[in-house]
Amino acid sequence: MENNDNMFWTGLSPDEAREALVTKDKSMRDKQMTLKEAVSRFIKDGDNVGIGGFVNIRQPIAITHEMVRQGFKDITLSFHSAGMAPDILAGAMMIRPDHCSIKRIELAYWAHEAFGLSPVWRYLAERGMVEFEDWSNYNMSARFKAGAMGLPFIPSRGPLGGDICKTSRTKVIDCPFTGRPIALLPASNPNVAILHVQAVDKFGNCIIRGTDATCPEIAMASAHTIVTCEQIVSHELVASHPKDVMIPFPAVDAVIQVPFGAYPGACRRHYYYNGDHIREFHSLVTPICKGGPLDPLKAWYEENIFGVEDFEDYIEKFGNKKLMADKAAESYNCERLA
Amino acid sequence: MTASAVSNNMKVSTDYTAQEIIVVAGAKVLEDKKIVFVGTGLPMVASLLAKLTNAPGLIPVFEAGAVGPPLKRGLPLSVGDSKTFTGASYVKGLNAAFELTQRGFADFGFIGGAEVDMFGNLNSTMIGDFPAGYQKPKVRLPGSGGASDMAASCERTILIVPHDKKKFNAKLNYITSPGHLDGSPNARYNAGMQGKGPYRLISTKGIFDFEEKSKRMRILFTFPGETIESIQAATGFELLISPNVSEFPAPTEEEVRMIREDIDPTGVFVKRIAK
Repeated sequence: MENNDNMFWTGLSPDEAREALVTKDKSMRDKQMTLKEAVSRFIKDGDNVGIGGFVNIRQPIAITHEMVRQGFKDITLSFHSAGMAPDILAGAMMIRPDHCSIKRIELAYWAHEAFGLSPVWRYLAERGMVEFEDWSNYNMSARFKAGAMGLPFIPSRGPLGGDICKTSRTKVIDCPFTGRPIALLPASNPNVAILHVQAVDKFGNCIIRGTDATCPEIAMASAHTIVTCEQIVSHELVASHPKDVMIPFPAVDAVIQVPFGAYPGACRRHYYYNGDHIREFHSLVTPICKGGPLDPLKAWYEENIFGVEDFEDYIEKFGNKKLMADKAAESYNCERLA
Repeated sequence: MTASAVSNNMKVSTDYTAQEIIVVAGAKVLEDKKIVFVGTGLPMVASLLAKLTNAPGLIPVFEAGAVGPPLKRGLPLSVGDSKTFTGASYVKGLNAAFELTQRGFADFGFIGGAEVDMFGNLNSTMIGDFPAGYQKPKVRLPGSGGASDMAASCERTILIVPHDKKKFNAKLNYITSPGHLDGSPNARYNAGMQGKGPYRLISTKGIFDFEEKSKRMRILFTFPGETIESIQAATGFELLISPNVSEFPAPTEEEVRMIREDIDPTGVFVKRIAK
């Protein structure tokens, strides 16, 4: 287990991150492919995977399902606040550790706000099954930002004075200009970013509605980026609003249209939360934390991930009525004239 | 409004819950025309109530990026909820929201925690042996989220912690969100932080401030049914007592109605448990 007191890089060091872009094909080419192909080409065992979205907003759920289907070993997860994405990945580790294993988690928050705590996080942490490093939300966003800026670290005020400084690779120095203490956070340059956004053109120019979360910084910091979206739109349309492009095409490696790709989480302008499904998933995990059998959770993965061909098959199970209701709820949240 | 309607509005509720009085107290602590960085859960409910009552010009900021939304589409389920973006004046992402706070735009930070000490330091990370047991805690909590950033950089913070001897501890298992640290003079400034730190703490038993010199938690208001003694008995450290301590009025029927019918009608954050 790595000791967070010592300095080490997870994912890419700043020099390696630079080198990854030097050798990368940055051409403006059609990057549409299947989710299967994207996951098998760009996510490798041992990778540091940067997860986009915020709690259950625009989490890359379809990508996590495909990762579980294909399996992964010894990966590191990096995120600020997340809900269902790490739940799906780590829940798979609970039932099939031979097929899916997470080595390390760098995070600020793993729970579901109105939908409760994550029993998956409690299960893993309280059994010592993964190494982890606590940061604050701003710490993680700023670490991705440092990575995106091509810098090895970023100074931050938070959270000086607390224990996060002691359990993370934060270095507190006296500012060379003011003399006051300041925290330095090491950059995060993941091997691969996994993101879900509203719209993308075939080259990878991304349109994001509602919060950007830290998706642009994660994409710019990572060596590779897989983007799923609600809708692939024409390059002409995107290029008519260049200032709306939050992630430029050279940062993106794979573009896949996956409607409901953040479900049962929410995606602004498209659908609101399916909180019942989030709670139902947790109701299968909570008894396991208390010593109950793994079978109901295994059955969930069999039914929804291993036993289906792709994410579309999973979405189909919710039925049109429920999906329409969640779309209608979101239409109310951001009412628009037709 | 008729005279009888006015008197109904002022009628004291007889069936309010512990969470409901926290929400009412939280709303009253907030000040009109100020910027408040709102954490998830009860702070969101209290901020909505404040906007509808004593602080119509309150400007909420959410860490996922929304600045100044009118919140006309109902209670957000998350600080990144779509409802926080509709009508907002400015929307970016997490870096922008926290940079704004670090720069000094947030008058208040409004956060919760699982455990608090006498200096207003909060824990939302772990229960267990620290530091030896950090990687295998007895109970793993969600983690800081943005709370420690708000604690480190908002000008003043308002804390919500349910009152319980196990939660009001002399020594925390882990300091997630720094308050007045060890209470020594200029402790926050010397540690490199911005802002004056914890301003009020609202529990299920009363409202507290932090005495100016010692930075120790001090009883300011007792909630109905509580006394200085009953609050001290439920606290794991010695509380100071304000010379002006008084009883906080019970919520009115109208305040409780607004929480139950207008703000959180499905009981997302304010649970329907009779007191």
